[in-house]
Amino acid sequence: MKGVGADEPYWLALSAGQLKLPECSACGKAHWPAVWRCGECGSWEQQWTSFELSGTIFSWARTWHEFGASKEFGLPYVSVVVEIDNADGRRLLGTIAGNAESIRIGDRVHGEVISVNIEDENIPALRWYLDGNSSTSKASNSGATL
Amino acid sequence: MNRASQGKVSVAGIGLRQYKRGGAPLPEQGILIRAIIDACEDAGFNPADIDGFVSYGDDKNEPVRLMPDLGTKELRWNSQVWGGGGGGIAAAFGQAAAAIISGQANAVIVFRALAQGNSGRMSAAVMRHHLNDHIVGAGLIAPAQICALRAQRMFEYYQVPHSVTEELVKASYYHGSKNPEASSFGKELDIEAYRTGRWVTEPFRLFDCSRENDGAGALLLVSTERARDLKKPPIRLLGVANGASQGWGDLIENDTDYASAGFKPVADRLWEQTGLQPKDIDVVQLYENFSAQGIASLIDHGFCNYENVAEFVKFENLIADGGKLPVNTSGGNFAQGFIHGVGTPIEAVRVLRGESANPVTNAKTCLLAGGPGAPTVSSAIFGVDDR
Ligand SMILES: [Zn+2]
Repeated sequence: MKGVGADEPYWLALSAGQLKLPECSACGKAHWPAVWRCGECGSWEQQWTSFELSGTIFSWARTWHEFGASKEFGLPYVSVVVEIDNADGRRLLGTIAGNAESIRIGDRVHGEVISVNIEDENIPALRWYLDGNSSTSKASNSGATL
Repeated sequence: MNRASQGKVSVAGIGLRQYKRGGAPLPEQGILIRAIIDACEDAGFNPADIDGFVSYGDDKNEPVRLMPDLGTKELRWNSQVWGGGGGGIAAAFGQAAAAIISGQANAVIVFRALAQGNSGRMSAAVMRHHLNDHIVGAGLIAPAQICALRAQRMFEYYQVPHSVTEELVKASYYHGSKNPEASSFGKELDIEAYRTGRWVTEPFRLFDCSRENDGAGALLLVSTERARDLKKPPIRLLGVANGASQGWGDLIENDTDYASAGFKPVADRLWEQTGLQPKDIDVVQLYENFSAQGIASLIDHGFCNYENVAEFVKFENLIADGGKLPVNTSGGNFAQGFIHGVGTPIEAVRVLRGESANPVTNAKTCLLAGGPGAPTVSSAIFGVDDR
């Protein structure tokens, strides 16, 4: 298993329960996936800044078929693309707590970092909760909080 | 492809061997050899004279290993389009044409072969190409799930009605039901079964998904001049484009035009280079891994848009003969069979030759729209030899 591009600082931060994303030190371009070199200005310097685990649902998909994902998700489960607040439109992937029957694009969410076991390896991942829906957020019972 | 190259290369022969998933009577390489020989017999061409091969989608059959069975005298070109999905299918014809037009090879086979016993599940192989901790941590391990996320955006945010996918699937099964080679031959789609099929990943139910077959397909390409001396009328490659533009690619779901299938820049290039427009296309072979991606592909190519998609994507418009734009006249990946899409260019050739099980009267141009939603996609236009 692996990350994408130059995203090791993302995983280190996530393992510590934090969200960090990169911006070009020279021109300020918000990159994601992470890059080694800024394709806009040619700089090799990236700075990683912290973001709140909050955003809006950009899209979602509820999986019913057993594709062989981590058993911790159970079935069905909802995978989401979340547009992170104040992050120049950058999106992160995760799952939503519970069956989230009412989920709609544009819903506000807040997140936490969980640990997901994949092929005997624990990786940090994002678990999201629909805001203003306490029954949904309490329905989370899979994935240990880091 | 520039104007000077257009129509210079043609498909001269086709071969397709299709079996139930897990049901191939020979290992993958064996059925591939059969399909290549079928294509040569179709063209009246000596297999030993094939000197080039192109594939796509991480095919495992390295061409040099085919030489002893084919009697290949000299291998001059072997290449594969990057990308794990079907996005490269039309681009493979671009590579074959580049080889022939530049004089690096004379007779090139475009192929794809898949047998579960050798290559495992195709969907799993496609996904292995893309897997990383971002997506597996979100429970995403199958192409259906990634495509579902994009489809949901199309349905919910852009308000494309769900009815359009039903129309497309229905038309595919209508064609498949009349095609003796199709997995759905003799069986039209039961609409209730479609509507109540089990959920795979919302918004996709069972019949929104293409189901894999074992098999192999091969198309023989030579110069149009040479093709004119062979058995069947040449089907010319009029244009081909592939790739991605900035803001699209392998971007962990950060693609700009997220609900699209990624074709807009590729389609624009195709129209520009050929001087053709959507209205000039007589029939479409549309790679549909999933129903919504087929719709997004039609939109990207400019046949319709988010506003008028429901008026355009109607069963009566999509069927042969007589529909405004017959789509997937063999049944397509849904209903003919799914060997990583290689049936779609083969049907493009058949329908232009007048050999389709669902003929389109006077069809002169056929668009091949490759695998939608992949990080790189490709499309091609084939035409009859009328000049
Ligand atoms: Zn920069």
